[in-house]
Amino acid sequence: MYRNVNRRTALKLAAGAGALAMSGKLAAPALAQGAAARTLRFVPQANLANFDPIWGTQYVVRNASAMVWDTLYGFDDKLVPQRQMAESEEVSSDGLTWTFKLRTGLKFHDGEPVLAKDVAASLDRWAARDQMGLLIKGIQQELVAVDDRTVKWVLKKPFPKMLLALGKISTPIAFIMPERLAKTDPFKQISEYVGSGPMRFVKNEWVPGAKAVFEKFPDYVPRQEPGSWLAGGKRMLAERVEWVIMPDPATASAALQNGEIDWWENPISDLVPVLSKNRNVLVDIADPLGNIGAFRMNHLYPPFNDVRARRAVLMAMSQEDYMRAIVGDDNALWKPLPGFFTPGTPLYTEEGGDILKGKRDFDGAKRLLAQSGYSGQPVTCLVAQDQPITKAQGDVTADLLKRLGMNVDFAAIDWGTVGQRRAMKTPPGQGGWQMFHTWHSGADCINPAVAIGVRASGDKAWFGWPDVPAVEAQVEAWYAAKTLDEEKTAIGRLNKAALDGVVYAPTGFFLSYQAWRKNVTGVVKGPLPFFWGVAKSA
Amino acid sequence: MSAHSITSAPPGVAVAPEMPDLLPAVKLRGGVLGFLRRHPTIAVGGALVIAMMLMALLAPYLGTVDPTALATARRTRAPSAENWFGTDMLGRDIYSRVVYGTRISLTIGFSVALIASSIGLAIGLVSGFVRWADGIIMRIMDGMMSIPPILLAIALMALTHGSVGNVITAITLAEIPRVSRLVRSVVLSLREQPYVDAAVAAGTRTPMIILRHILPNTLPPMTVQATYICAGAMIVEAILSFIGAGTPPIIPSWGNIMAEGRALWQVKPFIVFFPAVFLSVTVLAVNLLGDGLRDALDPRLAKGL
Amino acid sequence: MLSYIVRRLLATIPVMAVVALFVFSLLYVAPGDPAAVIAGDQASPEDVARIRQSLGLDRPFLIRFGEWVWQILHGDLGTSIFTNLPVTTMMVQRFEPTLSLMAITLCLSVSIAVPIGVLAAWKVGTWIDRAVMAFAVLGFSVPVFVIGYLLAYVFALELEWLPVQGYTPLSEGVWPWLENLILPAIALGCVYSALIARITRAAMLEVLQQDYIRTARAKGMGQTAILFVHALKNASVPIVTVIGIGIALLIGGAVVTESVFAIPGLGRLTVDAILRRDYPLIQGIVLLFSFVYVLVNLLIDLLYTLLDPRIRY
Repeated sequence: MYRNVNRRTALKLAAGAGALAMSGKLAAPALAQGAAARTLRFVPQANLANFDPIWGTQYVVRNASAMVWDTLYGFDDKLVPQRQMAESEEVSSDGLTWTFKLRTGLKFHDGEPVLAKDVAASLDRWAARDQMGLLIKGIQQELVAVDDRTVKWVLKKPFPKMLLALGKISTPIAFIMPERLAKTDPFKQISEYVGSGPMRFVKNEWVPGAKAVFEKFPDYVPRQEPGSWLAGGKRMLAERVEWVIMPDPATASAALQNGEIDWWENPISDLVPVLSKNRNVLVDIADPLGNIGAFRMNHLYPPFNDVRARRAVLMAMSQEDYMRAIVGDDNALWKPLPGFFTPGTPLYTEEGGDILKGKRDFDGAKRLLAQSGYSGQPVTCLVAQDQPITKAQGDVTADLLKRLGMNVDFAAIDWGTVGQRRAMKTPPGQGGWQMFHTWHSGADCINPAVAIGVRASGDKAWFGWPDVPAVEAQVEAWYAAKTLDEEKTAIGRLNKAALDGVVYAPTGFFLSYQAWRKNVTGVVKGPLPFFWGVAKSA
Repeated sequence: MSAHSITSAPPGVAVAPEMPDLLPAVKLRGGVLGFLRRHPTIAVGGALVIAMMLMALLAPYLGTVDPTALATARRTRAPSAENWFGTDMLGRDIYSRVVYGTRISLTIGFSVALIASSIGLAIGLVSGFVRWADGIIMRIMDGMMSIPPILLAIALMALTHGSVGNVITAITLAEIPRVSRLVRSVVLSLREQPYVDAAVAAGTRTPMIILRHILPNTLPPMTVQATYICAGAMIVEAILSFIGAGTPPIIPSWGNIMAEGRALWQVKPFIVFFPAVFLSVTVLAVNLLGDGLRDALDPRLAKGL
Repeated sequence: MLSYIVRRLLATIPVMAVVALFVFSLLYVAPGDPAAVIAGDQASPEDVARIRQSLGLDRPFLIRFGEWVWQILHGDLGTSIFTNLPVTTMMVQRFEPTLSLMAITLCLSVSIAVPIGVLAAWKVGTWIDRAVMAFAVLGFSVPVFVIGYLLAYVFALELEWLPVQGYTPLSEGVWPWLENLILPAIALGCVYSALIARITRAAMLEVLQQDYIRTARAKGMGQTAILFVHALKNASVPIVTVIGIGIALLIGGAVVTESVFAIPGLGRLTVDAILRRDYPLIQGIVLLFSFVYVLVNLLIDLLYTLLDPRIRY
């Protein structure tokens, strides 16, 4: 373990003189310094419990997988899909046949070359679990490897957003795996982790919940262009990356200040001032696409089956309260969000968002609530206590509903239980619910293809089952749009319809910081931590 | 009070402890004040516990505001004239939360201590004295002890939702086996005594033997143990809050105030400090009370050692 | 005596069977769906159902329980739902850190607490006694994580004498191993020591005013001999009981200590597994715990016979 040469090292060497006889590690400190200097120790946002990015769709799995597997296309920092493993693509004039050509020299971590059949199998497995992929599969004629370097995807209807689907960052990403792994049932986990990316996963050093180790794959062939998010050349400068899971933020903060770790994915904002003051630590915004907080109301049962009750809540809620509860006092970390799409992205809009702007109107809200027929029945709010974001939002909601005169049944449970209960369509009081809290990564809210939360197709919609036909009509319009302006028009109307019908309640847009030590260079802002281009000097 | 020692034995051989009456005459010589003066630990401990209980009962009248009222614009403010203990991460007044938290923490502590002690005492007595039952009961106790209280607490929380009742149940179920083991160990030492054999020979029924001879000697260590359980329960509640399985934040307890503020303790130590102080003082008080009671019930120790 | 030991060991089987049934039922009944967590936000209810099916979670209770018992009888604790690794592997990986932490804490606590408990009993009523009792109460009343943070702050961050977090296996050297365990052991040991010191004092007080002690003193026996040869030995039954009971306390406190000091131990694994509803892993860990408790209690009960000849089985 890397130590700063300081009192601790001196103490250790002195005290360890006796122990050295037992441990025989006299030479270790010098060697350790050298080897450790090339190990980048990173604290991720959550526990890496499993490692199949198609089967398990948590963000942290995606982030780790991005090191180990490569993709045909990848978003750059402008959210435009660029070629990665693909050398070229071709669309037939009728828009029904997509032909992809692989780059040469690509290898898997077991030394085998990457062939078109691997690509075909990987895309097939991915499509079975991905929203856009399922749409493609629905209109698929065939997906085959024509020869060792060419893949053909023949459709029954045109799908202009193909490259977007293949290059997007939201989970699951279309990672390319060896055919034998990709043939695993998409509802079962893979058991080997042979990758196509710049880093190898060292399975025998994996301690799930504590540590994950990645080593540079020397035979990886990066692209020539400079790296930009998932596009361009992924040049690994660190030999070894260690993910250290730290459940306690105060400990991670101390470890970063001490040099025991090098890079922390998401320090809590209250600790950032302490870190900024440290001469050896740098702090900056982690992901410009941020996150969108949300709570969803159950459209199937009273009181929220009446749009007036839903709008009453929107009239009274204060996005500032929610955001401060999540990110604290730093105003640079949050923005009000009168809509559902990520600020700073092409499709951001505030159309129809007046209800969330301006001074809060409690009297008006109470009147509207009374009009909707609310008569004091308990409102069951599911609040996961083990997720800081939902916990903070839950407290604010309880306060909000109380001030509106509603009777709050605060269900303090854990995230696993929320996952199960929110899927239940039984009436509240019989195991059902009326409100639950969650959040979405900004990368998942850039357009209606990936933003499942904003869909309002009733039974097929996300939990809460909002049914607002106007929204769905605009989603169709967006899919059919041919220019960016057409897209924007559709999205504007969608936003307004979604707010009028209160598909869900956005609580605001928030960002978080990342922190790293001064001797680490190449850290960029992005929706996931990018390890290529990052170097650590002694 | 009859306190006859059995003839002294050669050194190295343990002898039966003396047998106090079932209800020793706690001398009220000099009245209550005299009693308290002779047992300062009961005085101090009792006074503090009563103070805490009063604080819990009179919470609304002690200058508090609604402990769940948010004010996110004024979060994590240091102690001031407006917020005597400062504000937490959601701007709630910590003083109010701590005062109202007394209710929850005391309730949890006392309930767990009382229930676990009673049930554990009963089980330990039976197990220690009734030989054939010992094996079965102790194996069941072993089984109970191996269920991590955390699992129980989270499962209970998931089955219903986070609440005071679930916390009490989870902690109590974990404490019962320990109490019963302690009681059993004392009983095991005692049941080999000659006077017990004598009592059996004299035809005394087992319940009478347990009640008259065994029970009084288990009470002193039990009392001490109960105070530990009470204090321990309050601490365990903090641990459960640490992992998110304690009482929900709309019901403030010292445990969950500390758990919520723990990430910030380096920059805003007052959030953890105040509930920690209250917890420590209460635990101290409960322990002093327990010590004092034990000394009072066992006057041989009070006799100028 | 031997027959007693054999009987006790055989008795562990029904105990563990009861525990296994209880835990399995509890998990079966408790809501929370690992399939939903795995499937993620985007998945349709059909997807979740398919995952649940592939994990075998949609089968009836008896079949699932029976299959699990059958696996155990073949020495297989099953496979973790999330990591796809065998439960045994995952537990073995985490075993050493927790065991090390417990061992160091035990040694440290007992070697400090018992002597000062004896000291307090010997000097009962003096300032020494009060000081010891004050320490005991303080160690007991401040939560483990507060002590842990304070220790980490002072000794790791400010003075830089010890690392803030982490665990180094024994195979990489004795001092690196100890280095990571000192602060956590002190934090965890505070509560434990407080408990032991108090019980030692209480038990010693009970014993010290026995007639035979007076006799020994009258016969001219040295103070140390009296304290340790006669008194402590006779006081040891409740002390040893509490040490045994305290091991349970250690496991509970270990969860917190492992989180605060980022030690990859079984405590953290348990909490993670429970929150994720990784059923096979939870079941495996609980079985391990029950086995350990039974063994520890057996050892304690055997120790009783050594320490107090009045106790017979």
